[in-house]
Amino acid sequence: MKQKPMEEQDTQSEQYIEVWEDVVRIKDLVISLIICSITTLGGYLIAPNEPPKPLIFGLVGTVLGFIICSIIIKPKRTFEYIGEEE
Amino acid sequence: MDISLILELVTASVLGAVLYTLIGIAPGTDETAVLAPVTLVLVLTGFEPIVILAFFISAIVAKKLTDSIPVAVAGIPGGVMAAPMVDHAMVLKKHGLPEVSIRKMASGSVIGTLVAVPLSLLLASVIAPFGDEIKNYASQIFFGGAVFLALMAKNRWLALAAILPFAILIQGLRHLYWGIGIVPEGTTVFTSFFLGITIGPIILKLFELLNRDIRNKLPRYHKKEIKLQRSKKEKGFPNPFKILDAKEVGTTSFASLTGVLTFFMSPVGMTIFLGETFSNYIKDPVKRASRAISSMDGLTNATYIAGTLVPLIAIGLPLSPMAIGPAIALFKAPPVFTEDHNMHHLLSMNEFVIATVIGAIVAISITYFITIKYAQQICVFVFKYIPHEALLGVFFGLVLMLAYMDAGWLNIAGVLLIGIVAGTLHRWGVNYGVQFMVLYSAPWIMSWFM
Repeated sequence: MKQKPMEEQDTQSEQYIEVWEDVVRIKDLVISLIICSITTLGGYLIAPNEPPKPLIFGLVGTVLGFIICSIIIKPKRTFEYIGEEE
Repeated sequence: MDISLILELVTASVLGAVLYTLIGIAPGTDETAVLAPVTLVLVLTGFEPIVILAFFISAIVAKKLTDSIPVAVAGIPGGVMAAPMVDHAMVLKKHGLPEVSIRKMASGSVIGTLVAVPLSLLLASVIAPFGDEIKNYASQIFFGGAVFLALMAKNRWLALAAILPFAILIQGLRHLYWGIGIVPEGTTVFTSFFLGITIGPIILKLFELLNRDIRNKLPRYHKKEIKLQRSKKEKGFPNPFKILDAKEVGTTSFASLTGVLTFFMSPVGMTIFLGETFSNYIKDPVKRASRAISSMDGLTNATYIAGTLVPLIAIGLPLSPMAIGPAIALFKAPPVFTEDHNMHHLLSMNEFVIATVIGAIVAISITYFITIKYAQQICVFVFKYIPHEALLGVFFGLVLMLAYMDAGWLNIAGVLLIGIVAGTLHRWGVNYGVQFMVLYSAPWIMSWFM
């Protein structure tokens, strides 16, 4: 519990870490990994056991996971337009 | 060749172009990591080889066209291959010319494609007669490749020393699976190990996040700030030969030709080397930068196409960095494709030509048009609505699924183990090339000790 004040400070200013050339929030990353793993593997496992259906279900799960994550997680990027407006 | 098949090829190409137009823009997407898993799944799903080839060619052309957009607009490479262009693109951006960058790079890409497609097909038919001979020495060639790439790496002695231990890890896991009976003896687990290596750096990072000391010490960042310059609308259908001046067309074509001939070399290395060579003598910084980026983009595109097509058509073994990376699934995706039964064996020369030409034309007409016209809007869309977390989640999910498919639950842990080791090696400067070559030659390396 001692570390709490520090962590709180962190969350206010610089809270993101870099993974694969872009910044992410650890909590969101964990959520995304869990969601995509469940939808993908879940799709694979519930599919009828005749190839290639499991793979197709798995892929659909992946797309589903991607869409869910894109909706519930906000990208960590800010925009600024510079120069003249057209 | 009937109409319905042609329609299928066009559809696959359109899908590839659209999908990889978006993925190409997402920052930091490594070519191997984004192309290999998707292609692999398509192969395993059982699509026709010719359809997959059209999809793949379209995907690489589209990806190459768009991964330069974030470089030009925001100075962020959209992929590993775009990294060498950042400096030059920043020069143009500093002079307020980001859209010039995009147009020059995209046009360079188009010329690279136009040069590479016919030349690769030609080069492949020249090499083809020696294909079988080359094939007999596949393991030796892969091992030689591992040693060669290790010697070319930044930390060459480290890379060299890592070859045998890494081979033991791979073969060790395979024998364990055979030993406890979760994989029938003789079936070589390959796909999921390959992906474990590919996303190794990410897996390593994820494990590090579980360590509190490391987690607390990790550098923290603000939101990524992206500055955009409002750009003018382009009118009419763009023409690469108008966007580039005669000298740029010349240099780009020559660079692309060199790219085809050096298909077996590392594309990043060649890009930096040739791009700088061809532009160094120009004094005016803006002209030098636009010459450099157009020829670099042409060259990477050409190496990509040649690196895929030449080994695929002539040899049937992935003997180029491109083939052993992003295009791997066209060569080996057991049980559908193996060394003795893959696209090389299944497609005729005509089919190769048709799939390649359709894929390339579709990608160029869709993506080039979109790139030149809507570069900025696409960038804003991707940056604004696609969270990086979701991309990481997708690839993690795919790897889990393929790991499970290969050898059940245990293999998920096995792939994580390979990821930790491969990620560490990668961080130490042992590049993907060395690791993939070891993955290929591991059985042969182990056979020395029998």
